Parts: sequence; C-alpha cells; structure tokens
Amino acid sequence: MTWPEARATDTGLLVLHALRCAGTISLARLHAITGLDASDAESELIDLGADGLVTRLPGDIPGWSLTDAGRAADAERITHELESARARERVTAAYERFLVLNPELLDLCTAWQLRPVDGVVSVNDHGDPDYDARVLARFADLDRRATEVCAELSAALPRFGRYRVRLTEALERAAAGQLEYVADSTASYHIVWAELHEDLLATLGLRR
Amino acid sequence: MRWIRALSARVEETAETLGGKALGLVVLHRLGLPVPAGFAITTECCRAFLRDGRLPEGLDEELVTAVADLERSTGRAFGGPHRPLAVSVRSGASVSMPGMMNTILNLGLTAEATEGLAAETDDRPFALSSRLSFLTSFASATTNADAASAALAERPGRQAENEEASLIQSIEAVENLVLRRSGRPVPDDATHQLTQAVEAVFSSWDAPRARTYREVNGIPHDLGTAVIVQRMVFGNRDGHSGTGVAFSRDPNTGENVPFGEVLFGHQGEEVVSGRSMTRPLRELAEREPDVWAGLLDALRRIEEHYRDACYVEFTFQSGELWLLQVRPGRFVGGAAVRVATELVGQRLIGREEALLRVSPLHLRHVRTPRIASAGEADVLARGIGACPGVATGRIATTADGAVRMARTDPVVLVRPETSPNDMHGLAAATGIVTARGGPASHAAVVARAMGKPAVVGVAGLVVDHDGASVTAAGRTLPEGTLITIDGTSGDVALGSPRVVTDAADEHVHRLLAWADDVSGDHSARDETQRLEAAHRALRDR
Repeated sequence: MTWPEARATDTGLLVLHALRCAGTISLARLHAITGLDASDAESELIDLGADGLVTRLPGDIPGWSLTDAGRAADAERITHELESARARERVTAAYERFLVLNPELLDLCTAWQLRPVDGVVSVNDHGDPDYDARVLARFADLDRRATEVCAELSAALPRFGRYRVRLTEALERAAAGQLEYVADSTASYHIVWAELHEDLLATLGLRR
Repeated sequence: MRWIRALSARVEETAETLGGKALGLVVLHRLGLPVPAGFAITTECCRAFLRDGRLPEGLDEELVTAVADLERSTGRAFGGPHRPLAVSVRSGASVSMPGMMNTILNLGLTAEATEGLAAETDDRPFALSSRLSFLTSFASATTNADAASAALAERPGRQAENEEASLIQSIEAVENLVLRRSGRPVPDDATHQLTQAVEAVFSSWDAPRARTYREVNGIPHDLGTAVIVQRMVFGNRDGHSGTGVAFSRDPNTGENVPFGEVLFGHQGEEVVSGRSMTRPLRELAEREPDVWAGLLDALRRIEEHYRDACYVEFTFQSGELWLLQVRPGRFVGGAAVRVATELVGQRLIGREEALLRVSPLHLRHVRTPRIASAGEADVLARGIGACPGVATGRIATTADGAVRMARTDPVVLVRPETSPNDMHGLAAATGIVTARGGPASHAAVVARAMGKPAVVGVAGLVVDHDGASVTAAGRTLPEGTLITIDGTSGDVALGSPRVVTDAADEHVHRLLAWADDVSGDHSARDETQRLEAAHRALRDR
C-alpha cells in the first residue's frame, strides 16, 4: 500500500495549530514548539492576526491565543491536511496506541510528585536519588515505547516530528539533573506529552 | 486441588498464595458475614502461567470442578439457558496495586444465558445491561482498549421507550470492537470466557503499566496475582439494589462515623471508577434501612477483628447485603492520630500499639490546612483531593475567564477536565476543580507542579461555560460565586468556611503525652521528635 508523500505543513498552519494545541503562549514558546525562528513565527502571527484568527493578550506575561474564528480555521485546515495526506487511518491507529501509554505516563508523573512513605502519600522532596532514578528509568522505558508511536505519526504527517525532538530534550535535561523538565516547566515531558494528546484529538476531530 | 481454593472460613493459606483480596474474603467468612460463594486461583498458578506462557496442566479440570461446585451451591447453571450463573473475575495480588489490573463482571452471560436471565427476572433491559457490562469489562481486559467509550455514551434511562434498542446497539458496538482489536470474537461459551478472563488477569500482572507501578514502589516482579471468581450479585437488579464503598470511620477526620458512597441501581465498577452519580453513604439509612443495619453490624465486627478502622466494598441485590472486599482503613494524617487514640479509648488496642501505628509523617500532615468541618460548611459537592491545602476564590469556568478575573480577586478554576488549552488559567487560579479525572489526571499533575490545592473527579458536577455557571446537587452557581475547596478531603464548599490547621489537636496532645511517658523524656521538642523518641524506646525493648 502506498500513500501520497506527506508534505510539510505550511508555516501559517504550524503557528495556528501550535496555539490550538498549547493554548495561550508566548513567542518564545511558539519558537520552542514549532522550531520556527522567532522572527518568522512573529511575522506569521501578525498575518494571522490581520485575518482575525489570533489575538495578542496583554498582561504580565503577554501571550498569543486563537480567536473563535482561528479555532474554526484550524479545525478546517488541519482536517484538510489529514484527508489530503490520506492519513486518518494511520493517525487513528497511532492514537489508539498512544492511549495505551497515556495512563502510564500520568502514573509516572504522579509518582514523580508524590511518594508513599509509611503508607502516607507525601510530596516527593527529591531527597532520595534512588527513588528518582527508578522513576526516571521508567520514564525512559515508556519513552522507548512512545518512540514507535511518534515514528508512525511523523511518517503520516511530518509535523508530528517535533514531539519526538521535544520529548527527547525534556528527558535528557531531566536525566542531567534539571528536574523541572519532568513535570514542572512548560517544556517538561508532561507538558509536551499533553500537547501531543491535544494535537491528536484536534487532528482527528475528537473530544476528550 | 492444586491450583484452586474454595473460599471459606476454613482456608488456612497466606496472602502470598491467595492474594490480599481473597484473604479478606476468608476473614469475612470467618466473621460469618455475607460473601458471594466463590473460589481463588493461586498466585502460584499465575507464576506458572507467566513462566510458561500458558495456563498450567490440570487447571482446566479444576476449573470445571470448582464451577460445578458453584453451580451446586447456587442452584444455577453456568452459561445455561435457565437460571444462568454469572460470575465476577477479579485480580488480587498479595500487595495492593490499585487500578492496575483487570476485573470482569457478569461473566457467563452468553447470548443464550442473557435471554435466560431476562426470562427469569422478567426484565430484559436488566439482562441486556448486565451483558453489556460483561462485554465492556471483557473488552477492556482483553484488548487494552477503553471499551466503555465504544458503547453509547448517552444511555436512555430505565423504562425509556428505546432502552432495549439502545442496549442492543451498544452490545454490538463492543462486540465489534473486540473483533477489530483482537482479531477474534468474544467467545459465546461460558467456559471459554472464563479461561480467557483468567489469562487476561494473569497477563495484566506483566502489563507495562503494572511493571512501572511495581518498579517505582519497590515491589518484586515475581509475586504474581491470584484470581478470584465469585458468584455475581447484581447491584443493577431493581429499585432495591445498588453498590457502594464504606469506611467504618471518616477517613478525612478519623471521626467514628461511617463514611462512603453509594450508587443506587448500579454495579460495582461504576462506583470505583467515579464516572457515575454516587450519593453519600448515609442515604442508605433512609432508602434501605435493613441493608444499612447489616452494614453497620458488619463494620463493627470487622473493626473488632482488625482492631482498626476498615474499608469495605459492598453490593445489595433486592434488599440483600453482600460484602465483596475488605481491608484495614489505612488512614493518614490527623485521621490516623484520631483513630489510634480513640481505639485505645475503646480498649481495642493499647497505648504502645497506638504509638506504633502513627508514623512521624502522619504528624506532619496533621498541620495541612483543612475546612473546619463538613457539618459546619455548606458542602456543595465532593470529589477526590488531588493536591492538599485550602483555596478560596471566585468560580471561573474558562481559562480566559480565570486570567481576567484573577486580576482583581483570587479565582478557583472549575472545568470538566483540563487540557493544555487551560494552562494559563491554571497558572492564574489559586485552586482547581475538575468534574472528571482521577488523582493522576492532567489537572492533578499540573496542580501539584504548581503547588495549588485541587479537587478532581467531582461526579455530578456540570460546567456550563457558555452559560458561565456550574451545577452540582441541583444548585446552579454563576461564575464569580465564592467557593472554598479542600484538596485533602475533596470537599467543595460554598463561601469561605472556617479553615483550621489544628483539627486533630486534642488527639495529637493525648498521643504525644503517651509518647513522652514511653520515652521518659518530657522536655520541650517538636512533635515529630517526641514520637520518634517513643518509637525508638519501643523498638529497643
């Protein structure tokens, strides 16, 4: 069986869809999510803003987010991309495999944050390197299994390739002692994983 | 028999062979409490299965014998067209691994047996809905898929005109799911269903998620799980049926009053999954006084046996109470301190044992802020406490709304569940409530990362973000209403009730006075040190 060669997603849609999957985000995070350099990303945002699809929220931490029209436009374009690549079946299959891994990932994040000691579930104070190492080893094991899912996804639609890069980076940083890359920072494994989950739902037009 | 033990008061084996759940059922038998007839397949059998990749020689024959015994004692026929016998198939390891392994309900309800049950009860929707629960649990256990979502999400209520048609449609959808995901249909033969279910439970011991749980918690991988097969009792049978969970004392405070939840007209898994509308346990007293009286009596006898607070899972079918699971309560924090000291008052344990039952960590948890008392506060709803602490703020139903409102006042973000789209709202809020999800949900993980009190899985809470309001227990609150949440107990209360950090003070003082007597040291030190000194003195004796 052959599929049409999946083409790279155009940068406008990449930016639009990043806001769809990650919510309200800064230019720096948009760069981290899409891999686009900051000036390209910003000029896309300005174009999308002119079309009424995105809006810049003022405040302490200025961020960009989708308008209702932007959400509708993203749904239409992302579905169009999926159908023209004839990728629905493959993405659905990968999504089902993702769903098998998802509860385990959430268990692991919980085990990273909370730890039963003498039967009392307490905040993990990260004072026991052996415990943290055990949890991180299981993250690495899960990540190996997630690699297959990521590979299927990026074969179907190349834009999914960014998740593999970002998950790997989070895990490497966590292993190097930057513990906030497990579940705390906006570039943490948990946050990237949750964005992938949201992306799969948005791409397939499913609800949680 | 080599691999199977009938569950009765006479069983002598340990949790190592039978698993903790089966051992709890043996305790219930010994106390003369009502337990559905059944048998356990040993952990040794599981180890053989995991080693060889197939069920051991001789198990088939033993299963036939054990099922025949069940048929005899219940006067029913397994998979039969008349008075069919249905069973539950549950895992039960010697260590607790909550939510990690499979349970299959209503097994044996083949198409023919389902019609038999319909004829026997003169209630075809009941029989069909029981068959649907069987198929859903069987599908989840054997295919790794979330089969519940394959069935129709919106079921018409009982007695609705299209109830049967909708059940039949859901049954077909789940059957198709199994065929698609596993390449083979659900066997329509009770014995084959049982064999496959036993294999599925044994296999679930080695599922990656279970391995991860053991790895992280330092549990050996070679223990294996037992399988418990019991005659099914139906909480969905009629208006006098239901299921629930009960603690003999309040696990949030330790107060000596039964605490739990009951779900009228439903089966077991639904109450544990938190997907359905459960009611506070005390409603059982009004609606089913005989069941309530039986439950109170059982809790008292079990407490005397364990000499500790306890937890049970129960079902009542047509007004008859059955106990399905039991264990000691395992309370924490202030509740652990209060129970230990009050058990001394009841002469169930001595002072030294009370001291040993309280870990210094419990004392630290005693000081977590709490809503003063559920009786005093106007509790709107209750979910699962996911991140301890108390937060008071105005309800926001969207992340954008939370950011906007938080510029002037503290905000509690209330969502059906959260996703990355809510991150800015989670960051802006002082507390988080979700209607769905458990202690490992996205909301729970993020709340802990941000150190914010959170309550998740508030069954029955409806968030209407278009109407900017939330509804729970028949009360609708507009966005902006002040609420307070307790991330330990899971309480969501209206307004700003009194918050305390010394709920268990009286009991802590009593316990620590005993501690000083034991250690002989009455100098001023912090609470943890006083308890640790007593533990050292007791260990050195």
